[in-house]
Formats: sequence, C-alpha cells, structure tokens
Amino acid sequence: MTRRPGVLAAGLTALVGALCLLLQDTAPFLFAFPKTWTIPTTDWVGSVLETILGAIKPAMRWFSWLIAYPMDGLNAVLNGLPWPVLIGAVTALGWHLGGLRLALLGLAGFGFVLLSGYWSESMNTLALVAVSVPLAMIFGGTIGILANEAPRLRNPLLGVLDAMQTIPTFAYLTPLLLLFGFGPVVGLVASAIYAAPPMARNMLLGLERIDSEVKEAAIMSGATRAQQLFQVEIPTARHQIMVGVNQCLMAALSMVIIAAVIGGFDDIGWEVLLTMRKAQFGQALLAGLVIVLFAIVIDRLSAAMARDRKRFNSRISFVIFGIGLVAGAALYLTANTTPPTGLLGPVAEMVDEWLSRFTVVNATLMDDIKNTSMFYGLLPLRIGLDDAVLPFTWGFQWTKAMSLVLFGISALTCTALIWLGKPVVGLLFLIGMGLLETGITNLPWPFFLTAIGSLAWVASGRKLAILSVCLLVTILVSGLWERALLSLYLSGAAVLTCTAFGGVLGVVSANSTVVWRLLRPVCDLLQTIPLFVFLIPVLMFFQIGEFSAFLAICAYAIVPMIRYTRHGIVTTPPEMIEAATANGATTWQILRDIRLPYAAPSILLGLNQTILYAFAMLVIAALVGTTGLGQSIYLALGQADVGLGVSAGAAMAILAFIADRLVQSFAEDRRKALGL
Amino acid sequence: MTTTPAITAEDLWQVFGPDPLTAFRRAQSDASSPEDIARVLDASGHIPAVRGVSFDVAPGELFVIMGLSGSGKSTVVRGLSRLLQPTSGAVRLYGEDILAASKSRMNALRRNKIGMVFQHFGLFPHMTVIDNVAYPLKVARVSQKERYARVRPVLEMLGLQGRDTAYPRELSGGQRQRVGIARSLAGDCSIWFLDEPFSALDPLIRRQLQDEFLTIRKRLNTTIVFITHDITEALKLADRIAIMRDGQIVQIGTPAEIVLNPVDDYVRDFARDVARGRHARVGSIMRNDLRDIPGDTPGLNPDMTLEDALAFCVERYDPVPVRDPAGQVLGHVYPHDLAKALQAEKA
Amino acid sequence: MTLSRLCLATLLATGSAHAAELGAVDEPIKLAINEWTGQHVTTHVAGEMLEAAGYTVEYVTAGMMNQFQALADGDITATLEIWSSNVSDEYAKKIDDGTVVELGDLGLDAKEGLAYPAHVAELCPGLPDWQALKDCAGVFATAETLPMGRLVDYPADWGTPGAERMAGFGLPFKAVPAGSEGALIAELRAATEKKSPLFIVFWQPHWAMSAYDVQFVDVPVGNDDCFTDAAWGPNPDATMDCGFSPSRIFKASWSGMADKWPAAFEILSNYTLAVEDQQPMMGAVDVDGGSVEDVVADWMAANEAAWKPVVDAALN
Repeated sequence: MTRRPGVLAAGLTALVGALCLLLQDTAPFLFAFPKTWTIPTTDWVGSVLETILGAIKPAMRWFSWLIAYPMDGLNAVLNGLPWPVLIGAVTALGWHLGGLRLALLGLAGFGFVLLSGYWSESMNTLALVAVSVPLAMIFGGTIGILANEAPRLRNPLLGVLDAMQTIPTFAYLTPLLLLFGFGPVVGLVASAIYAAPPMARNMLLGLERIDSEVKEAAIMSGATRAQQLFQVEIPTARHQIMVGVNQCLMAALSMVIIAAVIGGFDDIGWEVLLTMRKAQFGQALLAGLVIVLFAIVIDRLSAAMARDRKRFNSRISFVIFGIGLVAGAALYLTANTTPPTGLLGPVAEMVDEWLSRFTVVNATLMDDIKNTSMFYGLLPLRIGLDDAVLPFTWGFQWTKAMSLVLFGISALTCTALIWLGKPVVGLLFLIGMGLLETGITNLPWPFFLTAIGSLAWVASGRKLAILSVCLLVTILVSGLWERALLSLYLSGAAVLTCTAFGGVLGVVSANSTVVWRLLRPVCDLLQTIPLFVFLIPVLMFFQIGEFSAFLAICAYAIVPMIRYTRHGIVTTPPEMIEAATANGATTWQILRDIRLPYAAPSILLGLNQTILYAFAMLVIAALVGTTGLGQSIYLALGQADVGLGVSAGAAMAILAFIADRLVQSFAEDRRKALGL
Repeated sequence: MTTTPAITAEDLWQVFGPDPLTAFRRAQSDASSPEDIARVLDASGHIPAVRGVSFDVAPGELFVIMGLSGSGKSTVVRGLSRLLQPTSGAVRLYGEDILAASKSRMNALRRNKIGMVFQHFGLFPHMTVIDNVAYPLKVARVSQKERYARVRPVLEMLGLQGRDTAYPRELSGGQRQRVGIARSLAGDCSIWFLDEPFSALDPLIRRQLQDEFLTIRKRLNTTIVFITHDITEALKLADRIAIMRDGQIVQIGTPAEIVLNPVDDYVRDFARDVARGRHARVGSIMRNDLRDIPGDTPGLNPDMTLEDALAFCVERYDPVPVRDPAGQVLGHVYPHDLAKALQAEKA
Repeated sequence: MTLSRLCLATLLATGSAHAAELGAVDEPIKLAINEWTGQHVTTHVAGEMLEAAGYTVEYVTAGMMNQFQALADGDITATLEIWSSNVSDEYAKKIDDGTVVELGDLGLDAKEGLAYPAHVAELCPGLPDWQALKDCAGVFATAETLPMGRLVDYPADWGTPGAERMAGFGLPFKAVPAGSEGALIAELRAATEKKSPLFIVFWQPHWAMSAYDVQFVDVPVGNDDCFTDAAWGPNPDATMDCGFSPSRIFKASWSGMADKWPAAFEILSNYTLAVEDQQPMMGAVDVDGGSVEDVVADWMAANEAAWKPVVDAALN
C-alpha cells in the first residue's frame, strides 16, 4: 500500500529540492519567504483574544476571588502548624501506605525541606499545589468523562489536550494575568491547565479499558447512565485514574517555577528564580532539590495509594503522628515555632565553590568540546555545509558543484532504496541530505512543505498530509517562519543527539542493572528539578549561546529516550529470547534481531516523548539567549503582547504536533506489524 | 389454545459498520434472501453479524443457542436483552415489544424481570460479594438493610454464605461465577439470559455448576436463553437447541433431533464426537411393530438413553470369553458386569 | 551619610507639600517586591516610612515585567524602582488608560553601558577607550560569532542596545542576547574566575559591579542628536555612536491610591533614595548575607534625619 505514494512522494520531494537548488540565484523568494506575503495574524489573534478576554474577565475575576479562599486558608494552616506536626503526619501516612520504607522516605524528604531553610516558602508551594491539583483533577476528569460519553467529541477533545500540553505555559501567562488578575491564582490556573491533560487521558483510558461485560452487567442490573458511570465505571477504573492523579501531581509540581515568574506568592519557585538571578548555583540547587523531594515523596505516596496493597498497621501511624503532635505542641508552648533556617547553607556554598573550581580547571577542555560540536555538528545543521564548511574550520571551501554532486548522489541513493522497497527510508535519506546541505534555517520553504507533506502522506495518509501542510502554511504567512525554523533546528539537533545517546544508554542499562541503578536517580532528578537550576553551570562552562541551550534541552529530553528504550528491550517476552538462544544466536545477535525489533514501538514512543520534551524546553532555553520562538514568547510576556505570545506558542505547538503525529504513525505501523 | 411465548425474536438483524441502518435499508431494497442482503452489506463494508434470526421460547423453556465463535450467538442474546439495539426485527417479551420500550421501562424490566450472566462474570471489582449481588436492588433504590435481607437466600442457594464481605479478586473462578449467577437472580427474574456462563471454568467446576444450574432452574422455573459453544453442554441442558452459523440459525430442535437428524454437514460435524448413546432416547429408535413377547419380560421405557438401554439389554446375555493373542482363553466377561460398569458412570 | 542627597532632595520637595488625610489605615498598602536586591532595599525603606506614618504594609512578590496589570487593578498599590531602560510597553498603555500614575523619580543615579570585568584590560590593551576594541575583536571571538567578536547584550526583552552600539561605532562584534539577568551574571562570574575575555552590556547600581570589578568602556557622551543625526559622533555614517542615554529610575502607583491613602501617596511621591545609600545596603545583603529587613531597619535607625521629614511633612 505504502509503496506507490512513497515513490510518488520521494519523486516530488526530489524534484522540488532540485528546482530550489537550481533557482537559488534567480528566485530568492524561495529561500526567504518575502515579508510582503505575510499577513499580520499575530495582531489579529491579539485583538480577537483581547475582545474575548475582556468579555469573560468579570466571571474569571469572580472565580479568582473565590479560589483565593481555600488557598489562603490552606496557606494559613500549613504555615501555622508547627513543623513537627506536618513531618509527623507525612511520616505516619508513609507508614500507613508503605511501611518502614515510605515512612523513612517521608521523614527524610520533609526533613531535608526543613534543613534547607525554605520551610515557609515550601509550605506556600504546597498550598498552591494542594489547590491546583484538585482543580486539575476535576477539570481533567470532566474532560475525560465527556470524551467517553460523547464519542463525537472525543477527537476534538484529544486535540485540545495536545494543545494544552504543547503550547508553552509562558505563552498564555499574559492572557491569564489579564483574566484572573495578579497573584498566585494565575500560577494556580496555569499549573491546573498543564496538569489536567494527564488526568483527562487516564480517566478516558481507564473508562475505555473497563471490561465490556462489567459495563453490560451494570446495564443489565437496570442502572441509569449516571448510576453506571459513578457507581460502576469510575470505581472500576480507579487504578488508571490514580495513575492520572499521580501524573497530575507531578505536572503541577513542575509548574511551580512558572507560577513564580508571575510572583504574588512567596514560594519556593520564587527562591529558585532569585538565586538563579544571582547565579548562585549552590543555593539554586538547594531550592530546586526541595521541589524534587516534594515530587519524590508525593509520587511514591500517591503511587502506593494507587495500588491495592494491604495497608500497614495504623496503630504505629497514630504513634508516629502523636510524636509529631507532642513535639509540635512542645515547640508551640515554648514559643519556638519558627523553623530553623539555613542549616544546609554551608553545603550550598561548598557546591558553589566546587563549581567555580571546576570551571577554572576545565576551561580549555570545555572550550574544545564546545568548538568541536559547533563546527562539525550544530553549525552545519543550522546553516548547512555550504555555509559552514570554511577553510578556517574544515580546511576547504564548499562549492556549488559539491552541492549538486551531493544532491545527485542522494537522489540516486533514494531511487535505489525505493527500488529495494524501502520508500520511507529513501525519502528520509533524501530529506536528511537536503537538510545537511542547506542547513535547517536556510531550507527553501517549498522544499520543506513538500518534504513534510510527503512524509505525512507516506506515514499516515492524505488527511495528515493536508493538515500538516495547512498548519505549516499558517506559520509561513504569519511571519514567524524564520523563528520557527530556528526553533526546529535547535530542537532537531537535540532530538538527534538524544536519540543516539539516549538509545545507547537505554540499551546499556537494559543489559546492566548496575548502570541502570546509577542512571535511574539521575533520570528522576532531571525530570523533576526546575531546569533553570542547571542553566547556571551550563552557562559557566559554555557561555551564553546555542550550545548551552542545546545542552539544556538535551539534559531534559534524553530521559524518555533512555526510559522507553530500556523498557522496550527489558520487556521482550522471555520465550522469544529462549527460542533465539536455542537456535544458537549470540547475545549481540539476540539484541539486534530479536530485542531491538521487538522494542521498536516502545523506542518510537520514547522518540515521540523526546520530541515533545525538546519543544517544551525551548522556552526555558531562551533564558540562555537563543533566538527562536522561545524568545518571541519571552518578548511577548515582557511586553504583555497577547497576540504574539499565543501565536508563537501555537507555532511551537504546531511543529510539535506534526512531529508527534509523524512518529506515532510510524510507531502504529510497527505495532501492527508485530501484532501488538 | 396457544400461550404467548415468553420470548419472541422475529427476523432479527444486527449489522455493524459505519452506517448500519442506511446500509441495511439499501441492501434490503436490493435483495430479498438473507444471503443476498448479507452479500450486499459485506460489499459496502458492513458486517452483518446476525442475519434474520427468528424463534420463540415458551415460558419455562430452556433454550440453548449453540455455535462456534463468530457465529453471532452472543450478538443475538445482546439483541434480546437490548444491550445492542438490533438494526432490524422485533423482540417481544411476553408480548411486549422491548425494542420500542423507553429507557425507564427498560431499566424497570432489567431490575425486575431480566437477569443476565456473563462469560467472564462481569463482577464489579470494587464491591464485596453481597454488594455485587444486591446491585440491581441498589439501583432500584431499595434500602441497604432490605436489599441485604433479600439477597441472603440467593447467596445461600449458591453456597456463598460466609463469603459476603469478600471481594471478587479473593474468589476462585467458580465462586466468581456463582456471584454472577446470584446477581442475575437478585431481581427475581422471570427471564434469564446466560452468555457462555461456564466456558471460562475448569471442566470439573463446570460440571458441578451445570448440575447446580439445573437444580436452580427446576426450583425457579424461569424462561432461559443459554449460549454455549459446547455441544455436550447444550445436549445436557437444553429443552431445545438452536444451532447458529454465520449469523443464521441452521437448525432448531430437541437434543435428540440434533444428534440423530442433523440437517447438514455443519451440524453433523458437531454431533460427530458426541456419544450418541448418551443423548438419544429409546423413543427415537423404537419401531412401532407390536410383536408378541412374553408379558413378564421387563421392558425399556422411551425416555431411557440408548446407552442405558444397551446396558439393560446386555445384562441378559451369556458370558463372553476373553482370549490372549494365541487364542488361549483367559477368562470370561459377564455382560452383567459390563452393564454395571457403563451405568456406574451415570450414578 | 547623615546629610545625604536623599535628605536634601526630600527637604526641597516637602517644602511645597501640604498635610494630607491618612485614609484607609486599616487596609494594607501593597508594595511590589521585584527580582533584584536593590529594589528590595528601596521598597523596604519606603515600607518602613509608611509604617512610621501609621500604615500597615504588605510586601507582594511580583515579576517586574508582569506587575503593571496588577498595579492597574489595584492588586499592588505601588512599585518603587522602575528602570526606563527596561520597562514594558504595557506600562505606557496603563499610563494612557489612567489606571497607573507615575510618582516621580526615585533619585537613583543609574548608568548603563558597554562593560568588561577588569582582568579583560590585560587581554585587550588600550581599554577602557572604545577604539581599542576595533583591534581586539578576535580576542572575543567564539564559535558562534567567528570571525567577529562576541558582545553579550541585554536579554532580548530589554531591548538590543548593544547591537545598536556595535552598528553605530562600526565595531566588528556580534551581539548575542543574554536571555536573562542570571545568564549575564553567570557569564561575568565564569569569565572572572577563568580570566577569560568577556565584553557585555551592563548597568549600575548592581552588586555585581563591585563583586566582579566591572568597568565601563569610555565612549563619547551622547546627547539627543546622537540618536537622530548620523553626522554626530565619531562615526559620520551612523546614529547610536555614543553612550547610553541616562536611564530614569522612577516610581508608580495605582491610580486609586491618592484617594484611598492620601498621605501615603504623598510620602511615596516625595520619597527618594541615593545610590550612596542603596549600594552599601545591597552589599550588606548580597555579600555579607544579611536579611533585607535587618539591614534596612539598621539604616532607618541611623538615618532618621534622612527620611523622617518626608513622613512628617505629609502628616502635619
């Protein structure tokens, strides 16, 4: 089926590519989309949005006023309680859910928070999360139920969820500010928006996965639809829903830092931002670790809650909580309620000094790493071999003849691959060579549109092809094209690197438990710590610029690649491996012929996540001075330009969306081929 | 005098696909025989899972629908219970057209009249045994005290006493299906649908539950539609059997008719592995020539299975010698003992 | 210290002030706390003055860029250290709407310009004269900017003064936007520790000026002609061939403040703070690790003559 469109698509792409290359000098508009062809969509978006926002503002202000009550109340309670009471409560809960292990985790986690000296800031953060998570759960749960009840709404709602997760939060902070007024409510709503999709997806998944006979049994019992839903289906799907709650909590925590950008709340995220501004790595790390520990404790506790395990002796829980209460009361009576401050300060300073020493000692090494990667990796990818290959760096000058030869060779290879029945590989090869020759940012837009359209066609079909091209055209005419290409370049480079390194690390950790034991906490840390924190050392090693941004993106986006690759390989059914061993295959042959092909869908899913993560990190990367869409979003935030912010955010979401659908289609094919 | 059948299915069609109703109407106007309509539907990308099925079930009858997987038997029972809305046709329960019934009427029927048992039990994992069983009463807003009181006898009947606070995951497969059966009986049903209720169970448990099922059936005297793919089960339980293939009923008949007079090779294949002797009755092979036989000879009766009849006849013969390969007589088998061995299995 | 410029300025200003009503003393006045220490000092001094006048004050953390909507809504009453070089368009919009009013200059003398950490003078002899940069662009070159030198400009959302100056002076440098203040500081810190070349756009008062011994490049002092007339200045073909126009640092409040808290409005309008007062307090916080509250309280106690008259003038 895919063979004919594959051939056609590859041919078309090659033709457009060749035409663009030939017409390079006569038709410059093929390369730089003329300004006069653009239409002021960002302004339109801005004025339309502002009208809408103005209309619903009163209602939202009322909501804002309402939600401030539980928040202030909780804040007062958490801050008013002497710290031993809370630590006691968390430890007791830990015991109840998971025995000694979780009790110790709770104690150590909240103990660290206490020692860090950020107790009251942390309590503010906790209050924020405690209000935003139920909000996200109700919001997300409702979406999930709605998508389940009305099949017609299912696909549009899933699209909305995608948008909620891929449009960077920074892009809609300004409209939120306008709607809800200044203060923690904005951060709260922003984190609720970001945290709702996992809840919605798991709710939907849970409801859809219920054994059909259970649903039928409820119907045959004579239950009304509401009775079926609330008495049978939702309780039956509770495990999946708890997974949603767990992910919802994690997402809300990761948004804490975003809430702080607005301010209005003296929380831990604000502390991270302040220390970040002073480039105090040790202190920023300390404050960041508080968020990590919250995340770990909450994650493990809620995961334990999601399991149907036996609960541990509640009497011991009461004793632990009692100790906390007594200690709290004692502190209260001696008027000693202020938590200790800055006990870990010296440690933070030591870390900071270590960073300085490391920077100085390894200065040359770091420069070499940076220059090598720039000259031979990033620069060719951005501006192409024809601009990046200079006598100064590569030792020779790139000529037009070389371009034509390269293009000719890749067209031939592509044809050969199609002949061998691999049109997709051929097409990818052709596009890849086109990229390498001209560089992503110099790519002629007709070639780009054709290439993506062709890929979409081959991967999924006409519908996706048309949709992708239309979406890309909106970016083109909105005048954000250049910036979009810059963003694409940076995240593309990061995705390529993450795929290579993450894939290898995943394979290695699948084969060695020692490596995985070392790697796993690193992965956890990278996913939960506010990444702002790591910008400081990266900047000190590699200075402001693309390379630092690239590294920051990689640090975040590599995690899913490692996890999914390992997961895919580890879960290969043992009987397949036994069969291969019985046939005399070596370990390497088993890996190559059995495990990797079997893990392919899982690895593709990891790639998909890596792509989404890389786009998500673009905005953060703008803090180290990149010039893509991320920067536009920051500019818009500073200038309170609703139109630009939302348009740039949407452009980013479009790129992520197309990449996501392409990879998912390929993954789907693989899954089908394996009969999964 | 004709009594109203408990269940009537009339020309039921169940079509799946993008737009079943329109596709079916169009196919119906293009073709007349079910086979042709099905062919037209197939061509338009629709799947005709049930093709013009009709039958009546008399009050108190145990009607078994049997067929291979994919034959449409489970779909038929879902149409009867209106878990699926049939594309065309009529379903009447005691004369009431349930396909036209309102939602609330349907709920009332399901709470009080119809019970259903599922192949994989369909238990609610978050409810205890007693709450599972009492759920049809709960949705009818019966108070907790009353519904517990009402379901206790049902639990006892199924041997679930003492397990009422257990959760489904703590039960064995057989116990789970007892809960499923108990739940379907909680509303005092007069019409009982069972969709392959014993297929997921071990052979031993299956036999045990079949026997209990027959006991319960005798006690309650409900009208039953029972789905199975197991010919032995069908022959053992049924008053009448409908055999389905490709969405159509191939043959309806009593167990003996199915075994002795299969209408085609498909049905014959089913009956091939069945020990006929165990299912056919003497009446079905009896000749009506009244010969003069001494009056004191004990006779067979027409309801005896052929196997029993064989044993009975064999008892009256002389011992038969048993030899080794060389022809040396090793001893004798007394037909009497042979008959005893055959009958022992039944006892 | 006792007779600082603050004192002088306030005495002059309060000469014309007349006594005002206190207004809603039972409702807290909310002062914005932005992201940098100098602003914290400025705000806490003002807060203590308001408290001395009998008001209750609440400090609300607020992103510098995002505070104006809050100011317009009255969620924040006043913000006391706005830099003209670094203020969003939204501020102008709110002033036009009449929802935010300006409260006059803070009196801090700010300076912005092309700068470098002191050790760079050895790498590029001739500094601080800007002409020296013409010949040592190569020293500052990096992989991204080759063959040009690299100038670390302000974050893009603060504008691009560095890039404009490079074009104006015709210097072979490529301006790289910093992305954030933290990024600028990290550059300064790393360059100082590694003794590596660094050329940036920076400003004072800032604690990093002394911490990393940052020096300004000497450029021709500009006037308005420099920004409009290409002929002006060392480069006859370009504008912007001069130093930065001096930044104004000023205060602003919610438009409803004057009616709700008349005396407080007057105190904040007349409030000023000099670099000589602010800089030592910043040092006491950022370098010596004191808390803003303690440092400001000490200063308030020692310099009553500097702030008391402003409060008294508004009350009597």
